[in-house]
Amino acid sequence: MESSITMDILDKIFTLLIFPGGLFLLILGLAYEWVDRKLLAQLQNRIGPRWFQPLADVIKLLAKEEVIPEGVNPWLFIGLPIIALAGSLTAALYTPLVGLPPSHSFPGDLIVTVYLLSLLTLCMGLAGSNTLDRFSLMGATRTLTQLFSYEAPFMLSLLGPAIVVGSWRIADITSYTENHWLLLSQPIGFLVALIGLIGKLEMPPLDAPEAETEIVAGAMTEYSGRGYALFRLAKGAELVVGLTLVASFYMGGMANPLLFLLKTLLLLLVMVGLQTLITRLRIDQTVGLWWRYGTLLVLVQWLGMIIWKGVAS
Amino acid sequence: MESKRQDERFIIPIGPQHPALKEPAHFRITVDGEIITNAVVRLGYAHRGIEKATESRNWVQNIYLVERICGICSHIHATAYCLGVERLAGVEVPPRAQTLRVLVAELERIHSHLLWLGVAAHEAGFDTLFMYSWRDRETVMDLLENVSGNRVNYSVNLLGGVKIDIDNQISDTIREGLAFLEERTLHYLDVVSNDMAFLQRTRGIGVLTRSQADVLGCVGPVARASNVPRDVRVEAPYGAYQQYPVNIVLVEKGDLEARFIVRLKELLESYRIIREILDTLPPGELTTRMPRRIKEGETISRVEAPRGELFYFIKSNGTDTPERVKVRTPTICNMLSVLKLAVGHQLADLPMILAGIDPCFSCNDRVAIIDHRRKSPEIWTWQDLRQYGIEYYNGHSR
Amino acid sequence: MIITTEKALSTATELFENWVWKTRTEKPEPNRLDVYLRSSEDLIPMTVGLRVQRLGYLAAITGLDLGPETKECELLYHFCTAAAIVTLRFRVPRDGAIVPSLCSVIPSAEVFEREASEMFGITFHGLRNPDHLYLPDDWPEKTYPLLKDFNPEVLKTLHDREPDNGK
Repeated sequence: MESSITMDILDKIFTLLIFPGGLFLLILGLAYEWVDRKLLAQLQNRIGPRWFQPLADVIKLLAKEEVIPEGVNPWLFIGLPIIALAGSLTAALYTPLVGLPPSHSFPGDLIVTVYLLSLLTLCMGLAGSNTLDRFSLMGATRTLTQLFSYEAPFMLSLLGPAIVVGSWRIADITSYTENHWLLLSQPIGFLVALIGLIGKLEMPPLDAPEAETEIVAGAMTEYSGRGYALFRLAKGAELVVGLTLVASFYMGGMANPLLFLLKTLLLLLVMVGLQTLITRLRIDQTVGLWWRYGTLLVLVQWLGMIIWKGVAS
Repeated sequence: MESKRQDERFIIPIGPQHPALKEPAHFRITVDGEIITNAVVRLGYAHRGIEKATESRNWVQNIYLVERICGICSHIHATAYCLGVERLAGVEVPPRAQTLRVLVAELERIHSHLLWLGVAAHEAGFDTLFMYSWRDRETVMDLLENVSGNRVNYSVNLLGGVKIDIDNQISDTIREGLAFLEERTLHYLDVVSNDMAFLQRTRGIGVLTRSQADVLGCVGPVARASNVPRDVRVEAPYGAYQQYPVNIVLVEKGDLEARFIVRLKELLESYRIIREILDTLPPGELTTRMPRRIKEGETISRVEAPRGELFYFIKSNGTDTPERVKVRTPTICNMLSVLKLAVGHQLADLPMILAGIDPCFSCNDRVAIIDHRRKSPEIWTWQDLRQYGIEYYNGHSR
Repeated sequence: MIITTEKALSTATELFENWVWKTRTEKPEPNRLDVYLRSSEDLIPMTVGLRVQRLGYLAAITGLDLGPETKECELLYHFCTAAAIVTLRFRVPRDGAIVPSLCSVIPSAEVFEREASEMFGITFHGLRNPDHLYLPDDWPEKTYPLLKDFNPEVLKTLHDREPDNGK
């Protein structure tokens, strides 16, 4: 009896820290970051980084001195990257990583996951506004502006499948989507979710918050060393979690690790394609894009779904 | 220097070191939210005192000095200088040499415009175009290396002629390279005038009307994008441009898109001129004799650099060194337009507006290395410099 | 609208030969017209005259040091139309010269005037921003590098100073 409890706890700790959460997720995040960078480089006629480059970057950053600038709240400065990483890692626990069922699950975990994913952006915004640096402040303003513009449509697009299934539990939705390609019935939702993910991760063309030619590194300008490494790890983890969510909701679910790899990488390829093809949008254009088109289109799709559901019943 | 009222506003410093600037300059951008309300520029970070330095070197040494004013348009600086000095000396340069100067100048223009295309695309956040245009730029740099032996400072000019010659083999290589570049340029022209996302960042942005361009004294592609017909190659043909006339490229709109189109169309014009030169290169001598001392007098030499009119005022006092060499580079003329244009735009548009004039800060900041330790203006060896660096830092860390 | 070189030169010659004050003009080269002003006071009216005739844009302002023994500098304002270059030139004292600024007539004159003022020590009356353009902010005062008797020794003090930590 006692040993089974110990086993249970050990099992939980293993899930949390090693696989599929924790360490494994971090490494997977770095691997996906490499795939992203390598593909982007190839499409742009460059050679691109070697496979261990993201890991090497993180190790180098961790080894570097962290400079805490004057005039910031040091607790926030150190704490925010940790909270951001914790947010991404926690979100992973509710998603069907590697095609396995989510390690934790409760009714309504979809909402929690989506908000945990926003924690990273929020932390970056706070981190930027915590410093006195002008570039950071501009970056923070833009990060939060972008958050407010994509958050609602992104959320709505993830709730689309939930309505079809009639449950706000990720596990329920994924077991339904394993037999249904919602991509076909809700193409708008898929597109919005995909672009929302790009905005969330501040990847080109929605990288106005860290547009290097204007505001250096945006909210991250003052970060060096460990804090920056943690933010990058958090981004990597969020990339994997976001891809998993979108792929499992819209692309026919993922029953095994092979399908997981195939579908998330396919999605990443599409994202890289968008990054290659499109010029960076100005922040006002981003906001316009989301509120003029993104939100409206998702709402139209919602309306369609509700009417269809009513007619069907 | 700064008034108190300005301090209360939100000022974003751009430079002297900033990812948007490939060369040092300092801009103070006052913003209200994302909108720029004021812009001030401070130059001089690459000021080397070249104008002063020319006064202590002889006429021949100065060719190599002025060639180093700018790394991108090195040939055109030397050409302007040589044309001026030759006019002062009353020397007629052989036609083949004049034509070869134009050939290299046009290759340099291609190099410069392709470089600009990449930089401007990068400022807009369109890195794919940046990478592709810089890959293609390698072609023209290889051509320049083929012709002159160098990729950057070509050292083609001599007083009284040129020191390079081309044969059939090289001219075939150039033709091949041009065919590839022409195809690519047409593609880029298609991209910058049809890509919707890119047009969002260029169409109607940074509009400079014809009268503004005229009053602000804009030159080169910036002026021509605003429909101001200012091109020294056309207005006052120098060297071999009389034999190889240039068709001026004018666009009416005056926005960033127009600046892209003007430069890309000028590339096509350059390809045409180079092909014509290769077909009808006059035979003959490459150099003629130049006196060591230049007759007393003043002259003004204007040429069309890739960025616009380059202005040289040269005064000789009859010795073997110039009395005064005044250089007015095109960027300084166009810089004012940036500051005027930036106001009212989004901060995100500033890098592109700035890039739109193709600023070259080392061109701007000429004039001096003065060696304060050795008491005489002279060149340091690498060892000296290294030793100086070590001593400097030892001294300061204590 | 487009003015040819010959037309520009003849218009300018006519303009200055019938000027209110007798002005000496010279044609050092076929495409150039040098106008010797009596003093700097004539500068603004003559520039306006040129602008009214739509003769060229201000291409550059050249400063010339005529040497310590003459105690004079010369300022040359170059206006270009097609191949024609009209140059307004006048002499000013080497010490404490005050010249009216052209900024009110031609805004782009600002950069050239700032350059001339830091390189030759000429004060431009009416220049809104007389700060250094090229030289460092801590450049020694009353030191003008393009004067012939400029002594680089004075810069020793500039470089030996301790860095002020960006204050």
